[in-house]
Amino acid sequence: MPITPLKPALVFAAGVVVATAGLAAANTARDAILKTYEHQAGVASFSAAAGKALFQGHHTGGKAATPSCTTCHTKNPRVMGQTRAGKPIKPMAVSHNPNRFTDPHKVEKWFRRNCHTVLGRACTAKEKGEIITYLSSI
Amino acid sequence: MHAPYPPPMTVFRVWDVPTRAYHWLQAGLVAGALFTGYLAPAWWLGVHVWVGYGLIALIVFRLVWGLVGSHYSRLSSFLYGRRAIVEHMRGLAAGRAAHAVGHTPLGSLMVFALVATIAAICLTGLFVLGGVENQGPLAAFAGFSSGWLARRIHALLSAGLLLLIGLHLLGVFGESWLGREPLVRSMLTGKKPVAADRIAPDLARPRHLAGGLMTAVIVFAAAMTGAYASRFTPSGLIAMPVLKAYQRECSACHEAYHPSLLPRASWARLMAHLDNHFGEDASLDLATTAKIAAYLKNYASQAWDTEAANRLRAVDPAHPGQITASPGWLRIHHRIDPAVFKSKKVRVRSNCQACHRDALSGRFDDQMIAIPKS
Repeated sequence: MPITPLKPALVFAAGVVVATAGLAAANTARDAILKTYEHQAGVASFSAAAGKALFQGHHTGGKAATPSCTTCHTKNPRVMGQTRAGKPIKPMAVSHNPNRFTDPHKVEKWFRRNCHTVLGRACTAKEKGEIITYLSSI
Repeated sequence: MHAPYPPPMTVFRVWDVPTRAYHWLQAGLVAGALFTGYLAPAWWLGVHVWVGYGLIALIVFRLVWGLVGSHYSRLSSFLYGRRAIVEHMRGLAAGRAAHAVGHTPLGSLMVFALVATIAAICLTGLFVLGGVENQGPLAAFAGFSSGWLARRIHALLSAGLLLLIGLHLLGVFGESWLGREPLVRSMLTGKKPVAADRIAPDLARPRHLAGGLMTAVIVFAAAMTGAYASRFTPSGLIAMPVLKAYQRECSACHEAYHPSLLPRASWARLMAHLDNHFGEDASLDLATTAKIAAYLKNYASQAWDTEAANRLRAVDPAHPGQITASPGWLRIHHRIDPAVFKSKKVRVRSNCQACHRDALSGRFDDQMIAIPKS
């Protein structure tokens, strides 16, 4: 029986379902992380503009080689960045990398490391929430 | 009545086809070996090695042909005593050529010196390949230190071979000029004008089938033995399990450097100061840090006998954790144009993989180097 014409359509439909489910799951996970930071900071929502200022800003408290988030992530979070050791970093903007900020351990690990490296101190829950909100908004 | 006249000259075919083919093939392969050894970049090692295998096969053939070839190709026809050699030298000093039908006494000395030197270069080359590069038939049997010693001898003998080639050419052209003999042409055509009464009375006849078969059998047996020996695990490499935590965590910012590239003390220091890792905080949770530190301690350079482990073993005391600061690293890379390291595809010296395609395996084979064009 010639059932082949059906197959591509089925595969496409299955793909759409899986992708949608994946995106929904990622959004849920990110929302949960933001909720935690909202709770810790005692605020109802975060300002993307404050996150942008923090992400794009020039800082002096941290290590000399890394005065800004943009040192490695570049000024445009929608494109690939590069570590000082030459390795590519996937885009930070959620619109260009939907898996960003969906693993709470990974998010905490990199905020711990990079806030120390760039600012010379830990970030507050408010700052973390603002950065995630900024990078989710572009 | 005809006594005062010189004996009639005849054009005699002194060099048979196999001997001439051997001579020019060997000249070509030696030129190839010298080019790939001295001038070509490191990644031509594979070509260099195959040229060497070719030379070994040629020398096997020449020894066989020295036993069953045509008269003047046989070793017995050019084994001269000390007296003949001294006489030849005295003659040359007085401006007289030797006028031998086959090899002259000094010429035969040169033949033996050249072949012995080429053979010794091939043999030491196999030790370099096995001991230093962990490749080829001796990979499982030669350690780095013997390979490194062989590398010195290989280089010395190669310089000696260049000198011998110079003397060989000087001898050929000198004797051609002195004796008005077309020695180069005779090695091309095989023919040489000689006094008829000097040709050996009972010329040994070439045994082509025996020569071909003996050469084929010896070369085939050697190739099979070499191929079999090449299948053993190289002596410098040990089995190392993959630690997922190491791969995942340590390849986030840079390549997961092979643990053999630094000694234990350096790894211990790096793992104890992850919060300031080359100017960045790379801290990990305690359990992961301990797991990775134990892995690196087990598989640090002390555990390996590879070229990379040996040549990077000594670190820069001021920067014991920086592979690219070690005296060995600097010596190996000192001729690389600094622009290469700044190019788009490399960016930093610590990006080993950019040029060494097998960097993650710790092998760093010469053939696997590919410097990206910027």
